[in-house]
Amino acid sequence: MKAPFAVLVVLAVAAPALAHHSFAMYDHTRTVTLKGEVTKFQWTNPHGYLEIDVKQKDGATKHYSLEMTSINMMMRLGWRSNMIKAGDKVVCTVSPLLNGEPAGLLLDVTLPDGRKLEPGVPAVNTFKRTPPED
Amino acid sequence: MKRDNVTLAIAAALIVASVLTQAQKGPTPPNISGAWERYGFNLGQPTADGRRPDGTVPPRSEQPVLKPSYQKEYQDRLNAVRDANTKGAPLASNYVDCLGDGMPLMMQAMFPIEFLQSPGQVTVIEEAFTQVRRIKLDKPQKKIEDVEPGFYGHSVGHWEGDTLMVDTIGIKENIRYNNLPHSDQMRIKEKIHLVSPTVLWDEVTIEDPVVLEKPFTIYYAYRRMVDYTLLEYICEDNREFKDANGVQQIRVGDSGKK
Repeated sequence: MKAPFAVLVVLAVAAPALAHHSFAMYDHTRTVTLKGEVTKFQWTNPHGYLEIDVKQKDGATKHYSLEMTSINMMMRLGWRSNMIKAGDKVVCTVSPLLNGEPAGLLLDVTLPDGRKLEPGVPAVNTFKRTPPED
Repeated sequence: MKRDNVTLAIAAALIVASVLTQAQKGPTPPNISGAWERYGFNLGQPTADGRRPDGTVPPRSEQPVLKPSYQKEYQDRLNAVRDANTKGAPLASNYVDCLGDGMPLMMQAMFPIEFLQSPGQVTVIEEAFTQVRRIKLDKPQKKIEDVEPGFYGHSVGHWEGDTLMVDTIGIKENIRYNNLPHSDQMRIKEKIHLVSPTVLWDEVTIEDPVVLEKPFTIYYAYRRMVDYTLLEYICEDNREFKDANGVQQIRVGDSGKK
């Protein structure tokens, strides 16, 4: 099962450099790592969304909306709509929304079985990755 | 013997008639039907490493030269877009309203593009936003004032040898090629032709005697996609929107869509 996903990541790097919508509203200088539980994997255009609940240090739950790319791009990279399900525990590398609201651009997601998937964010190398906070 | 001669004469006449008919129709156009993907360049630029190994990567697209009265508006807009992106508050494009490119930008094929050849018409479909344009073959072009402005305009075309020559008028003034203003006098001329069995070019020349000092040409190239069927694209849950200042914003939180 793992081989196809290795290909997936390689293809993602070669994804087109153009995007329909600007991603300039996301922070290109840092990433945050969110460990949470999926409440929905939304398979829509113009972009897909991963909705997750993240448990905070004080025990409260904070909800994040993570924007992906067009599901057409994702399909050409090998994604399918059933790859992530509600209840999945995931680790997400996210470029946060600059205005501080609980949302971000999903750069990659690691599934419970360890597979790491990328949605093919254009010019993904322009997003500086910073280590997880803890 | 006599009957054989008559048969031969009839057969010869039929062959001649067939050849003449074919000559009147012109050579059979090349087969460009099928799915294609943007190839080897980014907006007309050569590949990152500058390679043009087999001559199938097109030249750099030309830059428009505007008349002075339009140059300031154009430059101001480009500067505003750049500055807004730098500030992390991008100006909203038509995409934020779920609107497709229109012409000529549709032909950049951000997503795969499909050509369909049928009698009297070439149809072009772009996967993103399910954009469609129809090129009527061997029909006279209308007068500009007789065409209602739209996203894709009114296109007529004909084959000159192996090149599909297309003429398009009637593009809405708010449908712009990379923020370039244009008048209702804009005319888009295309030369669509194969440069190899698997690579197709569209040489797009934009004329606008009101806005431009002179026509300029942009180049798009496509590589044939084997066994690819264009996917559907419905702008179903657009969480982005344009605020009162024209800045792209996003609604945060689950939209309730499936």
